[in-house]
Amino acid sequence: MTDDAPLPGPPDPADPSGTSGPADPNGASPQADPTDSVIGPVTGPDVPALVVEDLTVRFAGLTALDGIGFTVRPGTVHALIGPNGAGKSTCFNVLSGVYRATAGSVRLGAHELTALPPHRIADLGVGRIFQNLALPPRATVEDSLMLGRHRLTRTGFLAAGLRLPSAAREEARHRARVREIAAFVGLEKQLAQPAGSLPYGQQKLAELARALCMEPKLLLLDEPVAGMTADERRRTASVIAGVRDGLGISVLLVEHDMGLVMRLADSVTVLDFGRRIADGTPGDVQNDPAVVRAYLGEETAA
Amino acid sequence: MSETLARSGLRVRTPAVYGWAAAALVLVALPFYLDRFWLQAGLFAMAAALGALGINLLTGATGQLSMGHAFFLAVGAYGYCLFAGDGTDGLAGLGLPGWLAAVLAVALAGLAGGVFSPIAGRLRGAYLGIATLALIFIGQHVLFNAHDLTGGYNGRAVPPLSLFGLTFDDTELLVAQVPFGAVEKLWYLGLALLLGGFLFARGVLRGRPGRAMNAIRDHRIAAGVMGIPVARYRAAVFVLSSMYAGLAGVLLALVFQRTVPEYFGMALSLEYLAMIVIGGLGSVAGAVAGGVFVSLLPQLLTRYSDALPLVSAPGTGGIAPGEASRYLYGAAVVAVVLFLPGGLARLAVRKPKSPTTQSPTPTITEPSGETR
Repeated sequence: MTDDAPLPGPPDPADPSGTSGPADPNGASPQADPTDSVIGPVTGPDVPALVVEDLTVRFAGLTALDGIGFTVRPGTVHALIGPNGAGKSTCFNVLSGVYRATAGSVRLGAHELTALPPHRIADLGVGRIFQNLALPPRATVEDSLMLGRHRLTRTGFLAAGLRLPSAAREEARHRARVREIAAFVGLEKQLAQPAGSLPYGQQKLAELARALCMEPKLLLLDEPVAGMTADERRRTASVIAGVRDGLGISVLLVEHDMGLVMRLADSVTVLDFGRRIADGTPGDVQNDPAVVRAYLGEETAA
Repeated sequence: MSETLARSGLRVRTPAVYGWAAAALVLVALPFYLDRFWLQAGLFAMAAALGALGINLLTGATGQLSMGHAFFLAVGAYGYCLFAGDGTDGLAGLGLPGWLAAVLAVALAGLAGGVFSPIAGRLRGAYLGIATLALIFIGQHVLFNAHDLTGGYNGRAVPPLSLFGLTFDDTELLVAQVPFGAVEKLWYLGLALLLGGFLFARGVLRGRPGRAMNAIRDHRIAAGVMGIPVARYRAAVFVLSSMYAGLAGVLLALVFQRTVPEYFGMALSLEYLAMIVIGGLGSVAGAVAGGVFVSLLPQLLTRYSDALPLVSAPGTGGIAPGEASRYLYGAAVVAVVLFLPGGLARLAVRKPKSPTTQSPTPTITEPSGETR
């Protein structure tokens, strides 16, 4: 387990502050085997900053993003908020390589992301969950999470087809880690079920777990608690806080639940019509007149 | 591997193990009891099942439609003739030993798939289906016109395979008082190839590549974001699928003992698609079941055409057996799509705890909502 960042204890759903720290590092890793050495890269200490500068995206005549910029400092939760159509999802799609930027740059440490295809960005340690579910409905939760291990495993067609011992060993090792991560988000009992049979909130949680299975350095979360019950929201919030505090992973968060954003985020960037209208700590942003205007409309109009 | 199989089998599913053993025993014993017609029908079914395994990896598991499967079958069949032929019939032949020719023919089919793979990697779903249509037309043109290579319209004779000093031709070999001709010997070869092909495909689908393939089918954009090189995977699966088709082509050629160009037309490609839809998209057992069903049906109808209403012997005015079987599996495709999404494979696993899923079937068209 030397290469794996130890998972913090299972988040406590009853903890309303949503900041359960690394309480019990042993509790979540009963399968931890000291001989298991190479599963993932070291997360935590070498998490690079994400720097977005002058990012512009145009679709035909429409300018979806207009020269926005922000920095996600290592090991922080950075929220990206704004009214519908502000360009948040477009921004995510550029960060994960799905859309091409028209101009500007996105750097993760020393790497320029705007020129890379999605799988190369994933290789750099960027995990993402989608606003709409992207889980195969018939695969079991465990298999879905194993998909997150793709970039960390090597088994090819020949090894898998011939069932070489090396493939079986790799599979077993990574399944153990997947079970740890499932326990961390609280899905250990659902591992054998088809993902499509879970309630919506648990499916979103499974998607978060799958992104964590990539052992990311940066997590992009697109509305992680949308459609969840209050209980599931609390649980997810504590998982996100645990990811930051326990694993040191940076999180970029798009979310409409302002309570959650204000509680979790270390810094906030506000977009409106593709422009950045505010950037700062949650407290600063909350009282920014431009933000209030964007969300509630002009005072004079009332 | 056999250890783990036996262990898990003994612990959980003892009846299933007995069932498999009994089925294997029956399959091994069949050449001692069945006549040539049935053995040949069985061999066609095995070849079809091998081909269906290949296209199911591509279309069923990865969501990439292929209309060009017949082309790769032709590459395998004619490739074998080319490598194994000794040139005495005036056609090109390299005179290689049969087993080497078979291996090279499969490799050649893979190579042909590889040549097409830059296209196969870039196009998705139905678009690839349209592009692969071109292969059928190119293939038919070459088969009919490259006379020195293919024998043109009349096709070419297939040299018998020889393996470990055993020649798979009609020189009779007496085994337990039963004369073994070509089909009896090929039966065991076919069984071995099908078992190997089945286990390999199952291993691929249950392992890391299979998860990636299903992810590309279900959520292409998310698959890329998860770190799967989508184009490279599509191309690789296309090559693997072509090699399965090549192997099926070699086996078909050995059973037919003659390859004719018109067999490898568009209808054959459609038959393979029908096999995997009927059997179950993305399921290994389903591919075999569908292959057996679709290839045995016309043979059964031919055999019993006099006993069946509406069906008559070819050329006597009624519905010919080949035609009738096409109607029947056409109807089977419709019935499966309507009433049994998931195909025959789903039927087998239906009894235990089924109410868990709303089981959306994998579709060939792109389900992902996001567009560029």
